[in-house]
Amino acid sequence: MKIDRRSFLGLGLGAAAGIALSPVGVKLTDDSSIWTQNWPWTPVPEDGEITYDRSVCSLCPGACGISVRKINGRPVKIEGLDDHPINNGGACLHGIAGLQYLYDPARIKTPLKKNGNKFEKISWDEAISLVAGKLGEIRESGTPESLGLISGADNGSMAQLFRRFMDAFGSPNTYTMPSLESNLALTAAALHSADRSLGFDIDHSDFILSFGAAIIEGWGSPVACIQANASRHERKAKLVQVDYRLSNTANAADKIIAVKPGTEADLALGLCAVLLAKTKIAKDSLSGDVNKLAFSAMLEKEYTSDKVEAITGVKAADVEALAMAFIKAKAPVAVPGKGRGDVGQSLREFAAVQALNALAGRLNKEGGVFVMWPAGYLKFPENVMDDTAEQGAGKAKLAGSVTELVDKLEKDGGLSALFIYNANPCYALNNTEKVKAAMDKVGFKVSFSSFMDETALKSDVILPASIFLERLEDVVSGAGLAKTVVGLCRPMVKPVFDTKHPGDTLILLAQAMGDSIAEGFSWDSYEACLEEVTGDIWDTLSDDGYVVIDDKPPVGTPVTDFTFLSSAPKIDVPMGEGDFTLVPVDKMRLAGGSMISSPFAVKTVSDTVLSGKYSVVEINPATAGALKDGDVAVLKTAMGTVKVKIGLNEGIMAGVIGMPRGLGHTFNNPYVAGKGVNVNDLIGPVIEPGSGLDAAFGIKATLSKA
Amino acid sequence: MDDALIPEGAKRCAFPIFMIGIIIVGAVLLWGVYAMFLCWFKGLNQTNMNDYYGFALWIWADLAVIAVGGGAFFTGLLKYIFKVDDLKNIINFAVIIGFICYSSALLILAIDIGQPLRGWFIFWHANVHSMLTEVAFCLSCYFAVLTIEFIPNILENRQVNKVPFFHHLAHNMHGVMAVFAATGAFLSFFHQGSLGGVAGVMFGRPFAYREGLLIWPWTFFLFTWSAAAFGPCFTLLVTKITEMITGKKLVGDKTVNLLAKISGWMITTYIIAKIIDTIYWAFVTAPSMGFKLGHFYSNNGFYGYWILITEVILCGVVPGLLLINKSTRENPATRTIAIILGVIGVCLNRWVMVLQIMAVPVLSFDTWALYIPSWQEVATTILPVAYGIILIAVAYRYLPVFPQELELNESADTAAQN
Amino acid sequence: MIENKKVHKFGMVIDLDKCTGCGACMVSCMSENNVPFKEDESNKKDSITWMRVYKLTNGKSFPETEIVYLPRPCQHCGGIGDHGHSPCVSVCPATATDYGYDTGIVSQIYTRCFGCRYCMGACPYHARYFNWWDPKWPEGMEKYLSPNVSPRMRGVVEKCSFCYHRYQLAREQAIVEDREIEEMEYQTACTTACPAGAIVFGDLNNPAHKVHQIVKPDPHPDPMNHKVVGKSRNPKVFRLLERLGTNPKVYYMSEREWVRKAGDNYLKGEWENVKTHHGASSSHG
Repeated sequence: MKIDRRSFLGLGLGAAAGIALSPVGVKLTDDSSIWTQNWPWTPVPEDGEITYDRSVCSLCPGACGISVRKINGRPVKIEGLDDHPINNGGACLHGIAGLQYLYDPARIKTPLKKNGNKFEKISWDEAISLVAGKLGEIRESGTPESLGLISGADNGSMAQLFRRFMDAFGSPNTYTMPSLESNLALTAAALHSADRSLGFDIDHSDFILSFGAAIIEGWGSPVACIQANASRHERKAKLVQVDYRLSNTANAADKIIAVKPGTEADLALGLCAVLLAKTKIAKDSLSGDVNKLAFSAMLEKEYTSDKVEAITGVKAADVEALAMAFIKAKAPVAVPGKGRGDVGQSLREFAAVQALNALAGRLNKEGGVFVMWPAGYLKFPENVMDDTAEQGAGKAKLAGSVTELVDKLEKDGGLSALFIYNANPCYALNNTEKVKAAMDKVGFKVSFSSFMDETALKSDVILPASIFLERLEDVVSGAGLAKTVVGLCRPMVKPVFDTKHPGDTLILLAQAMGDSIAEGFSWDSYEACLEEVTGDIWDTLSDDGYVVIDDKPPVGTPVTDFTFLSSAPKIDVPMGEGDFTLVPVDKMRLAGGSMISSPFAVKTVSDTVLSGKYSVVEINPATAGALKDGDVAVLKTAMGTVKVKIGLNEGIMAGVIGMPRGLGHTFNNPYVAGKGVNVNDLIGPVIEPGSGLDAAFGIKATLSKA
Repeated sequence: MDDALIPEGAKRCAFPIFMIGIIIVGAVLLWGVYAMFLCWFKGLNQTNMNDYYGFALWIWADLAVIAVGGGAFFTGLLKYIFKVDDLKNIINFAVIIGFICYSSALLILAIDIGQPLRGWFIFWHANVHSMLTEVAFCLSCYFAVLTIEFIPNILENRQVNKVPFFHHLAHNMHGVMAVFAATGAFLSFFHQGSLGGVAGVMFGRPFAYREGLLIWPWTFFLFTWSAAAFGPCFTLLVTKITEMITGKKLVGDKTVNLLAKISGWMITTYIIAKIIDTIYWAFVTAPSMGFKLGHFYSNNGFYGYWILITEVILCGVVPGLLLINKSTRENPATRTIAIILGVIGVCLNRWVMVLQIMAVPVLSFDTWALYIPSWQEVATTILPVAYGIILIAVAYRYLPVFPQELELNESADTAAQN
Repeated sequence: MIENKKVHKFGMVIDLDKCTGCGACMVSCMSENNVPFKEDESNKKDSITWMRVYKLTNGKSFPETEIVYLPRPCQHCGGIGDHGHSPCVSVCPATATDYGYDTGIVSQIYTRCFGCRYCMGACPYHARYFNWWDPKWPEGMEKYLSPNVSPRMRGVVEKCSFCYHRYQLAREQAIVEDREIEEMEYQTACTTACPAGAIVFGDLNNPAHKVHQIVKPDPHPDPMNHKVVGKSRNPKVFRLLERLGTNPKVYYMSEREWVRKAGDNYLKGEWENVKTHHGASSSHG
């Protein structure tokens, strides 16, 4: 058949009409829309049976009880655990986002060894024998004390296990990162007696005088504190906030006492002076205290209300009125530790606030301060120490605090090996450049980190730790709570990667070291160890998930020793030059210290805190000069120069620049790192004589348009 | 080269020159097509729209082309229903412009929606309460009508018309065109109105919200009215531009003046209604929701009272008066100014009713939201313009669009030949 | 089957004096509802947060400055006269968002939404969010996603559902046991997470529920504005943009006058009137 143009056209048109009328088009249209509803790259979560498991969150020292919802054993949601003695069903955003940490892009998936500038994967066996070998060499050379340890929290069985290892190895060089807990312990040691801690019974106080403590922004046990604040209205409790900016806590307070940054201690001492001069209670409560006369004389001389006004900017009459309001309340309590109470604190300030509590007769009273005994539920068998261990452990520590250690290491070195557990000093300590330089002076660094954070990046070997959702551990409350609760953190999921419980790692390491060290670590596993050392409470702990050790005021009034305060200690901060004082600002939605924020947490951060790649600094419009809201500006301190965005904010004292803490991470997690600047980079440590604390709460700064 | 396709007796530029023009405009078109594919394959993150600015540049373009495309339905209505016979000289062109506008509008909608493959859900899962459903139905139907109206003109191409079937088809279609014109006018009335309704029913947005009649907010009627009023301005403007480019007179002054006069009266009556609406809204509706007029025109870097004054007075009252006044209407310069102002006016109205609505804060603690379109948005918005130019160029070259072309240019041609 | 006959009107009241702005509600919502996240979320205008916490200030200088945090979920509007024609539901061309007359909850059907965003334009609260991007989870992280809420795809609108899946789960249980849902059985993720206890959720129709007791909703139209139904008879309680007649089911509470005033727009001098008339209709309650 000959196909001419006409029949070709006809055929074509006919075919087109036929297809158009057939169901093909309709079917394709429908299919394509169904395809858009099931795009292969849109995940379809597997369904199954819903169950709930209890555990404890150990992201921060809060020690909240959590309930983990699972689908076919797969955790899908974390919520606060109802009726838990610490958080009673509440939760904070970091804990709720906990599951994100399991799959965090920066998680360390296997043991690693540094080779040049790169990490290479190694097996656990290799890793353990490598570390054991290095440590063995150090021991053989007769300098076991040159092994150091920097860790986070100083309580619970893991802390003790590490300490036990250090003892058995023969080194006294264990250091903890600055935390509210360690600052309170230091205060208790200076004013009362060693091995105690302080707990603030905010729940039962009717007059809370907070010296900048961010009670609802992460101070202490955050959820417990937020709940204590929330119930204030019903129990008619007042909150007076001493602050230089409108923190959320200041905003929630009934009254704000505006002070110049860094003069909180002076105000506290001024209040002490008023109380001593005007009230009988204060004089009476001094009976039996150590160095009370010298203290009284010092107050009388140095802290008249006029002098306090000159230092703090609080009017003399207001100082007196505040002191009287405090003493007249039924159950007042003074709370130290500005912000989260960790970095940039001085013993002077903590002690001054605690002295106020002592003078007001608030020690070991309901609604006051508890001078608490250690939790004491752990009973480790006696350690096995050979001669090398005895010798090394008997030597003097290199430094009194981690900040002093950094100082010492940077100058002259002194450690041949360093364990880092639960700590990120290369981010969390002031002047991170100096910390990194100090780290470079240590020959062999072993990190027990779960994430490739700033410090892990500097280590030589990483023995990756399972995170709290993957492990068993006792978590003991502290952090300024007026009760002691031990919770049991339980594995909610098998380790997602090739990681180990750091307790197990330590036991393996000890056993690989052999001899006396192995003898002291003869457990099969950390689980066996925990069961043994918590013997008395293990059953309750594993059945109920927690044990309340103590929730009543300790009996008797402890003696207060005013020796430290009587010397009228002074520290010269902030350092440097500039028209402004730069201070870090703790935000509830950003993790501070060694903890890293989750993608969800960063997502909630306001654009008045983080804008694109810039940290936004708070500055009062009155002192901003020509700088406008949203301008990019250059911020300069003695430690460094950075670009920031200006956030005009009526809620900050003139002359002060507030910079959010918790930004400026530099590791490999695009959701969390590479955003803003780390305020710690800009602030230099100022070591407080007598305590070794880094008292640099801020630094002088200049600001100019970029 | 393509002489055989060119209407008999018509003078057209040389094919290579024509092709150069097409290639230049075609490059712009391709740029738009590239942006369009980016939006389809990568998603609307290619735009600078955001959750505050869910409607943006191209939705304004969409509403604007539909408004100016209103010349087609209104001219059709006048020509076929009201038998204003003089309009036969411009009706073909009005239909082509309408066809371009409406096909562009549909294309923009296909790019605008987040899930283009589910676009048909608007018909399948139609929500009768939604103004947008009405828009979609009427818009699609009216586009079909415009296509039908356009077909006879295509069939009149010299070669196509040689086929007896097409010749008769074209002839018969002309015969029944009144039916389609009526249908088109009806559909157009509703979808122009429902586009106005889209804004007017948003009772959560005091800047947009209007009271009204039964289920229709006043913007429903104002949009239809303004499309009918300003649509012919656009038809005249495009005619003028085409005349300038071709260097020929294409539509007789009588027809032009007639359409301009009708447009003038429509604009004038519309703008009176618009002013009443604005006053009622400014002094009754908005205050009842807690807003004073100044709220909508202050505290931001762009939207000031200037936009209201420009839209209503400069681009509403002024062109209306210029076109109803015989002397200014018949003066080509003032007439052209009026036409241009009119087109700007209706486009500005659609801008305000799309973009300013999104920009105005409603919550007392919210702030103005201004946005700058991305290049992809600009390219996809220019795409219909390029497409329109090409379609007009091709239609003008190969179809007998302007019945008066030969007659109006005869003398000039003869003069040239002599 | 008592359950199915009851007409609920779920709603919440948020105590702004208790809210600390901690963000727990936002994250609880995100993790409950598989809300995606992207590398840069600092542009709040394209950041999906079903629950967003606004920060308001009184504009005075330190130390007189006051701030208030205002958590804003979807307001689950009942529309003018509370007839169920919420601003968004009435405009959706494809019936992809719907008003539940038995619950008062405004739903969103992601697989039907074709992304025209008209609902977003219609919502004055900015409670609706568009998926400008394909949601992407870092490798492995999709393992924490919950099967109770389907992850969305690019090009559709999403918003707070008052954790409707939690209602479904509770209702199924109640039906099996042939009883009504208890107040505490159905609570939204934000409510349970709030450490300050600032959010109270429940059935506004049920006088036994705490939310009803706090709000004391007036069943009659407001005599000053007939579009408004369900106005609170508690003088400390208000709704956002109540005057528009959107009739939200999210109420706010504050002792502070400036905060209550910030909830709506007022012409000069109007507030003084409204303030004294607020709760006036309680006479006929």
